[in-house]
Amino acid sequence: MILRRTLLLVLLLPSLAAAQTSPEDQARGLLEDGRTYRKEGKLKQALDNFQTIVSGFPNTSFVDDALLEIGRYYLEVDHDAAKARDAFEQVTKRFPQSDGAPGAYYYLGRLTMERAAAATDIDDALAQFARVQRLYPRSEWVPRALYATGLAHRKSGRLAEAAEAARRVALEHPSSDAAPAAQFELAQDLALSGDFRQAMEEFQQVRNRYPESEWSPLALDRITALYRLYGAGKPTFALDPSYSVGAGDTLKDVRGILMMPSRTLWVASDKVKSAIPFAPDGKMGPGLAGEDLQSMSLAPNGDLLVTAARAVRLGPRNLQTFAIPGSKPGETEPLEKLQAAAVTPSGSVLVSDEKKKKVFRFDGKLQYQAPFPDAKERQISRIVLDGEGGIVMLDRDEKTVRVLDEAGRVLRTIAAHGPGYDLRKPVDVAVDGFRNTYVADEEGGVLVFSPQGQLLATLGGADVRKARAVTLDPAGGVLVYDDKLQRILRFK
Amino acid sequence: MTVTVPRWSLLALALALAAPPARGQEAAGTLSEAVQKELAAVQDLIARATTEFEGPQQSRSIVQFDEIVTRLEVLHRQGTLPPRGREILSTAYEMRARAYYNIGLQEKAADSFRSLIQLSPQYAMSKERVSPKVVDYFNSVKKALVGYLAVSSSPAGARVSLNGEFLSLTDFFPLEVLAGEYTVEIAREGYRTETRTISIAAKATETLQVDLTRTLASAFVVTEPVGVEVWLDGQLRTTTSGTPGPDLLEMVRAKGLDPARASGRTELGNLSLGSHNLEFRRKCYETVKRQIEVPEARDYETEGIKLQDSVASLQLRSEPPGARIFLDGEAMGITPKDLDGVCSGKHHVEVKHTSGKFVQDIVVSKDESVTLDCPIRPSLAYLGVIAESAAGERFIPDVEEKLIENLQQKVTALNFVPAPRDTVDRVLESEKLTRKALLAGSGVDPDLVRKVTVKLAEALEVQGFLLALLPGEKLQRTAVLNLLAAGNTVPDTSDVTFGESASYMRFLAAVDRKATLYRPWTGLITVDTAMYEGVPVLRVVAGSPAAQAGVQAAEVLTAVDGKAVKQTSDLLGAVDAKKAKDKLGLSLKGAGGAARAVDLTLADTPQEIPLNDPSLLYNKVMIDLLAQIQGYPGTETAAFARLNLAICAMHFGDFAAAHEHLLKARAELPARPGLSQGTALYYLGLALERLGYKKEAVDAYRAAAGFKDATLFNNDGPSVAPLAARRGGN
Repeated sequence: MILRRTLLLVLLLPSLAAAQTSPEDQARGLLEDGRTYRKEGKLKQALDNFQTIVSGFPNTSFVDDALLEIGRYYLEVDHDAAKARDAFEQVTKRFPQSDGAPGAYYYLGRLTMERAAAATDIDDALAQFARVQRLYPRSEWVPRALYATGLAHRKSGRLAEAAEAARRVALEHPSSDAAPAAQFELAQDLALSGDFRQAMEEFQQVRNRYPESEWSPLALDRITALYRLYGAGKPTFALDPSYSVGAGDTLKDVRGILMMPSRTLWVASDKVKSAIPFAPDGKMGPGLAGEDLQSMSLAPNGDLLVTAARAVRLGPRNLQTFAIPGSKPGETEPLEKLQAAAVTPSGSVLVSDEKKKKVFRFDGKLQYQAPFPDAKERQISRIVLDGEGGIVMLDRDEKTVRVLDEAGRVLRTIAAHGPGYDLRKPVDVAVDGFRNTYVADEEGGVLVFSPQGQLLATLGGADVRKARAVTLDPAGGVLVYDDKLQRILRFK
Repeated sequence: MTVTVPRWSLLALALALAAPPARGQEAAGTLSEAVQKELAAVQDLIARATTEFEGPQQSRSIVQFDEIVTRLEVLHRQGTLPPRGREILSTAYEMRARAYYNIGLQEKAADSFRSLIQLSPQYAMSKERVSPKVVDYFNSVKKALVGYLAVSSSPAGARVSLNGEFLSLTDFFPLEVLAGEYTVEIAREGYRTETRTISIAAKATETLQVDLTRTLASAFVVTEPVGVEVWLDGQLRTTTSGTPGPDLLEMVRAKGLDPARASGRTELGNLSLGSHNLEFRRKCYETVKRQIEVPEARDYETEGIKLQDSVASLQLRSEPPGARIFLDGEAMGITPKDLDGVCSGKHHVEVKHTSGKFVQDIVVSKDESVTLDCPIRPSLAYLGVIAESAAGERFIPDVEEKLIENLQQKVTALNFVPAPRDTVDRVLESEKLTRKALLAGSGVDPDLVRKVTVKLAEALEVQGFLLALLPGEKLQRTAVLNLLAAGNTVPDTSDVTFGESASYMRFLAAVDRKATLYRPWTGLITVDTAMYEGVPVLRVVAGSPAAQAGVQAAEVLTAVDGKAVKQTSDLLGAVDAKKAKDKLGLSLKGAGGAARAVDLTLADTPQEIPLNDPSLLYNKVMIDLLAQIQGYPGTETAAFARLNLAICAMHFGDFAAAHEHLLKARAELPARPGLSQGTALYYLGLALERLGYKKEAVDAYRAAAGFKDATLFNNDGPSVAPLAARRGGN
């Protein structure tokens, strides 16, 4: 709220009756109603209210609050970063002393962080979050800014700093609305740092301290995944004999399986020429038809990507073909032997082409950029993302898994051979939330590797005869399509 | 002939006459408005006349004195001349006479003196003040007009009135009386009034001797012990006193009393004829009741009255002990204490400790043995209400009343004490501060606020303060309650609509909420998974009850006290429902699936106060913590309270105070796993860092990192060592 509000109220004192219909009161009413609409999901009505305050009551003390709400609408509903930024910047420039200002700085930081393409962007975001803490130390936005500070550090790979910022929220603002997420973030940071036991304790604290929060069931999944791998000395995967999903042709000639965070399992079958969803209760949903289906991956915004030889379905509606510059100027050459595709955190689209033996990078508007990471020929049969923005690529010919950052730098590698294992015919790869890598090998089952590339476990033997595809459920359970058995097996 | 008198004496006289009447002399309210007006006018006149009299043209004052005399004689004739008017008139007569005398008009002077003497026969003039010649002349005039009257009575002490005007009490020596005929009345309570008619000639002396006839009786009492109140028909009439004279010793013995402890013979006079109820009362003694028959007006001797002791014993215990006991305001030692010989009846018990006090009114009966547990509660001084704007001032008394009404009986965790305004003002003024200095954002140096709150707390014998603020812009319906602990610098605030008791509920609940400083503890760290029926044990805290019971990591806890455990909250709920030293039965499954049962004995773990919990009133928490520290100095409880006090100070951004507390906490806390010295060192590093002492902060962090098993939050909390190591740059 703006300081001017106090002055206005003082001026309005002589006449209470008049005050009730004053512009100030009307603006307040609009703001409160707008917030109620937002909570009820009537987002457009809410936006109308906020815009009315800005246009109809520009001299009231609620303009900063309205602008902040408008920015949130553009950011969270319209996903229009430019408009959102404009609204937030109006708050910080026109009303720097208002109680809306720390919120605006916070959102500006989030905007910068989420679209960060370089380290300097992250630094800018951190500066915005630090501004909230320094200039408005008593604001309710401080814990949110601290939490976001942790996210920014994590995005830069500074896990210790990330954990510390998250710890500060848990320690200093345990009752704030950011606290459950920060507690979860703290645990995640510890897990990514390799401190799995402490991570499990911190995930458990999410459940103990914030049992009703949305983070509590997620924490259960994370603990389960960690405990299975690290809780009892050695990884314990047990085949779930009761598990059964799909039937008939849907489980023939399966090219890929992918479990969504919602636990819906997609099965891409070339036999039925469709990718078909199975709900957690096993019910089959309407499929996505496609010729010569190849693989599936998950975009950072949660959309499903289904790759067929000639096109990629980006999300539910956007079917996209790809072409690269031809040998002559002005000519283009369509890619007609696609194998895999993925969307990076910065919005680029990577597609691998079997014929060209390369991965090509397209920008957010699907304009061709360059080969990725370089022009060297390689047969990349799978591209997936790990939870930290790493791009995981399975090189079929080299029988190697490489994880690269968006700049194309190799972050880690699982070589074809290593202590205790040989990758003989790797066909699919999946990564869990802690960067453990699961490689499906038609001749070796499913091999589980730590982030450091050490073999943790092998799922196979008599249980898995020909692993053709692999995916993970949110609790770290492994689902394997066995091409011999024409079944999906679950290890939990 | 001109007689001169010192100038100052006349001025003093004029001022004395012009001055308002002494208190009780004549209340303005008893005089009519007209008389008051006239009196005021003549007071003004006499002042001017006196000035004139003193000047070179003294004779010109005569006209003014004439006017005064004329105006006051009218009142005198009407019978409305008040005593002060009489004084002024006497003065006017005297000065007019002197003025005439000084210009040689002796006959006129004599007339004026005569008028004076008729008004006040006992009027005298001093040769030290007035010319001896004038005084002689006055006396010669007076002699011709005045006689003398002397009256004595048996018994003496009777009131004598002449023609209805009180003259004196008997016995008196001859008094000057204007010559003439008089009706003399001699009256004394308990005796019949006597009337005589006498004629008093000038220069002659008349004497009256009157024997009064008794109409009421007297009773004489002797009591053991002395100092007994004697109540007659429900009214206190006298208190026995003295000791029996030698001539009464036998009589006292004969009445069955101990002469060494008995009172003197005490009169209970003016008893009307008939039957009377007597009560003999003395604190710590049983009351004795008697009836006395008074058939005729004479003296009566009562039997000896011996009062029996009436005392009880009082055993006072307090938590914490070592508190000072005050019984009816008198210091009686420190708790725990047994007090014998406490008088039966009502008593005001106060048990005071630096951490708070216990106050209760009790009634004890004869020979009763009462044990009083005195839980010490901190006290909260209510400092009143202040307004942000002058416009609010007129509403403050109403607000004050409403606030007290809604708070005084409803705050149960603290003693609510409305503070004397003058004491508060005195302490604040000694630091040149007002109450507003205690509000958040006052801009006053925090150290000065801290100092003055400590001084106020000492002066008021309280541990915290409540100050209400009426925000200027709020139309006087709401007040902001500011709760401030002694020694702290920032209050917690809470808005209330002061006329609505429901709006106080949140504040009252927060005030009455006691921060949880300890909770029952197993030392068993379990996690929820989707893998087991039960919760796997991730870790067992070294030295904890679970460790002592032999619980192993990776075992799966399936039930507690026979109830299935499906998730960790089931275990925590079961533990929270118990208390330290209770038993807890655990059902466990080993890695191989073998089941076993284990009993453990719960301990307790200290808890940190959350750094920012909107539901907490941190000042109230600080008051409670200080009570722990002052109540149990040197104990582990006090050390943990000190650690939490530092966290509260950090909540308010008061890192200097936090630093002070942490230095003490570090020294007092045990060095062991869990919340301990390492915890204090870690926070010490934080405080030093915020105060800008980077190097010292690093030292503290490094020291904290050396405490491998120290934790935050509670004994199960995250390890201090890695956090401290990171901050310390290790």
